[in-house]
Amino acid sequence: MAQVVEITDKKYPKLLKEIGSLAPKKLYYKGNWPALSHAEGSDEIFENCLAVVGSRRLTSYGRRATEQLITEIAAAGVTIVSGFMFGGDEAAHSAAVKAGGKTIAVMPCGINIIHPEYQKNLYNEILENNGLIISEYEGNFLPQTWSFVQRDRIVAGLSKAVLVTEASLNSGSLITASYAKKFGRKVFSVPGQIFSEVSKGTIKLIKEGAEVVAEAKDILKFYKILINPEVKGRPTSRVMSDVPKTGTLEEKIIDWLKREPMEADAIARALCVSAAKIGTTLSLMQLKGFINQDAGKYYVE
Amino acid sequence: MLIKVPSVANLGLETIKVDVEVNLASRGLPGFEIVGLADKAVAESKERVRTAISSCGIDFPAKKITVNLAPADVPKEGSLYDLPIAVGILSSILQFEMPEKSLFLGELSFDGSLRHTKGAFLMALFAKEFGFLNLFVPKDSANEAAAIKGIKVFPIENLTQLSHHLLKRKNIEPVVYKEVLENIPSPAEFDMKEVLGQEQAKRAIEIAAAGGHNIIMVGSPGSGKTMLARALPGILPPLNETEALEVTKIFSAAGSIPPGGSLMTFRQFRAPHHTASLPGLIGGGSKPHPGEISLAHRGVLFLDEFNEFPRSIMEAMRQPLEDGYLTISRSKQRVMYPADFMLVASANPCPCGYLNHPKKNCICNQNQIRKYQKRISGPILDRIDLHIAIMPVDTTEFSDNQKNTEFLESSQAIKQRVVLARQKQSKRFENDFIHSNSQMKNTHIKKYCKLAKDVEAILRQASLKFQLSARSYMKMIKVARTIADLDQVEEISVNHMAEALQYRPKTYEQA
Repeated sequence: MAQVVEITDKKYPKLLKEIGSLAPKKLYYKGNWPALSHAEGSDEIFENCLAVVGSRRLTSYGRRATEQLITEIAAAGVTIVSGFMFGGDEAAHSAAVKAGGKTIAVMPCGINIIHPEYQKNLYNEILENNGLIISEYEGNFLPQTWSFVQRDRIVAGLSKAVLVTEASLNSGSLITASYAKKFGRKVFSVPGQIFSEVSKGTIKLIKEGAEVVAEAKDILKFYKILINPEVKGRPTSRVMSDVPKTGTLEEKIIDWLKREPMEADAIARALCVSAAKIGTTLSLMQLKGFINQDAGKYYVE
Repeated sequence: MLIKVPSVANLGLETIKVDVEVNLASRGLPGFEIVGLADKAVAESKERVRTAISSCGIDFPAKKITVNLAPADVPKEGSLYDLPIAVGILSSILQFEMPEKSLFLGELSFDGSLRHTKGAFLMALFAKEFGFLNLFVPKDSANEAAAIKGIKVFPIENLTQLSHHLLKRKNIEPVVYKEVLENIPSPAEFDMKEVLGQEQAKRAIEIAAAGGHNIIMVGSPGSGKTMLARALPGILPPLNETEALEVTKIFSAAGSIPPGGSLMTFRQFRAPHHTASLPGLIGGGSKPHPGEISLAHRGVLFLDEFNEFPRSIMEAMRQPLEDGYLTISRSKQRVMYPADFMLVASANPCPCGYLNHPKKNCICNQNQIRKYQKRISGPILDRIDLHIAIMPVDTTEFSDNQKNTEFLESSQAIKQRVVLARQKQSKRFENDFIHSNSQMKNTHIKKYCKLAKDVEAILRQASLKFQLSARSYMKMIKVARTIADLDQVEEISVNHMAEALQYRPKTYEQA
């Protein structure tokens, strides 16, 4: 089932070859490898690659940021490259798949192994959506501590730029970012709260000169892609008439949630409303799609 | 000379009559023998009886004494036959008539006094049913037996006193039942008023209490899960008479009624540790004893650190959770213990406990979290109606008003609503052999939880959006029924359903 591409092959990714001695001699893969990598045409999977990496302990903030950015970027035709680990990588892959975009997963293990195994559904979804699964290891090679780091160089090597969504100071995402710098690729970083452990790495990258990303445009500009107004996946704007009228409990709740995500209890206290009433209202608002809940906290969609 | 002293044997909650036949043969070598499937405690009774009789200043007869416990094929256990055996021997020495329609039970001490013995309450129930009029039991066990009206319970301090009574020299006065209220720990350790914040969790506990629903609380250490659980007994309605009898029976069988104790009128709050053994928790042993789940009958079983409980125990709880009783089968006997309890479980969201904690960082990776959460068996989670996440409360962020417990609702006020909701339910289920919303089966739901079109639409929409399973769908209806009962209305409205959805099963993954 797995096939192989050698470094001498014409269809070996050009960008990856540029990393010189670090480029893997062989690449095993699953999925539909395009016929020629340097063929002209915008539909090329290796043409516009963006590496998206993030902490394994992605926070709800990191996940929301990844979903929002990647949905738009992937829908605009940029290929999302990541390492198939749980957390940041998984969020990036699945956002790309959901948006109908292309995505490449670079595995730290033999091509016949799915690691982590419980992400099997995602693995299949990637393949079904014309994505690629790549590894430099053959057969049933089990992932090793060092192979994760080795994998990072391919993730960086394939991509024109690396986007770090969330990372702690000792995160593997920073290794990918340093490879990117070494290969002369662009580094993007999503700013986070200064208190969060998994924002310390991204903030460090910004200090060192990485570009701050606040919206998909920031990255799409780099790829010289015009913003596609029709984004598949989640609806971004809501019809204004749907938004509750001023003064109602719903409106007050939305006012509070715009500032920061809150738990039901905190909303009840802030508005001096009983837990029963607040629960009822929150459920109804969530069903109407005004708000959403994540990790126990509600936020405005 | 052959003397028959009637006593009883308790097999689980069932009581059967046992005749203690004492024969003092004038021929043969002196000796003391007990036959009739007696266990070790019964066999050792020989030494206690011999010493106790000597201690009363009576010469122990140098004859061949044989005791038969009839029927001979029922296993007998425990120390309760000390008194009937001693009475049999005394009767042949002192030549007194055995009183009519009487039952004897009690463990002897070497000095001739009687000790508190388990099963007195069960014997009293048996006596009432089968027309026995007099019970002779140790003084400490007399009060519990006297809870049953219409029989005379004689409290016995020692053998001398008893022989005087039986020789009609000095009568013992039958005990007058009195309800013991001191020495009973207050059922609730906390008042709901003392719990700051946690508005939604408190509401969920109220709903759970009102409908008898099982509830699970997931939250970081120190977020107040245990405090909430321990405040729960304070809002539960007291046991009614039938329930009190049921609970007291189980406690009598387990030997858990304290000396001088009376009928159990409070709902039990049992909080076994997660290292408890399976027979200890579920019930069992070679001679089946009731476990914690039966002692929590009609009360609350609080399982703290639920994911730490062994899988085997969780799976064993499934059947009692569904049926409200447990049958323990052994080759020689089959025992049924009621176990209709409210399960209150609490768990940490991840191994380190700080997943989604606002201040502390979780050090677990997603794989560890997945594994940890998978420890709770799915079928058990399926039987839990209310799921809530508990977030730690930072009281420094509270205003003075919010910190002032005077403004918070007390347990007493919540209890009133709960009692009214329960009354509504007992009226509703009069002819259905169930007593709370949590026990409704699908037929009951169809009958008592008719949903208006808009309410059903909300539920359908929610089950799509939140991916509720079919079972969860039914759970939401049950919970909405209870919320409507708390509101004292018959019709389940959109608001009731929407609130119920707050307590739907969730996965607590780091999302």
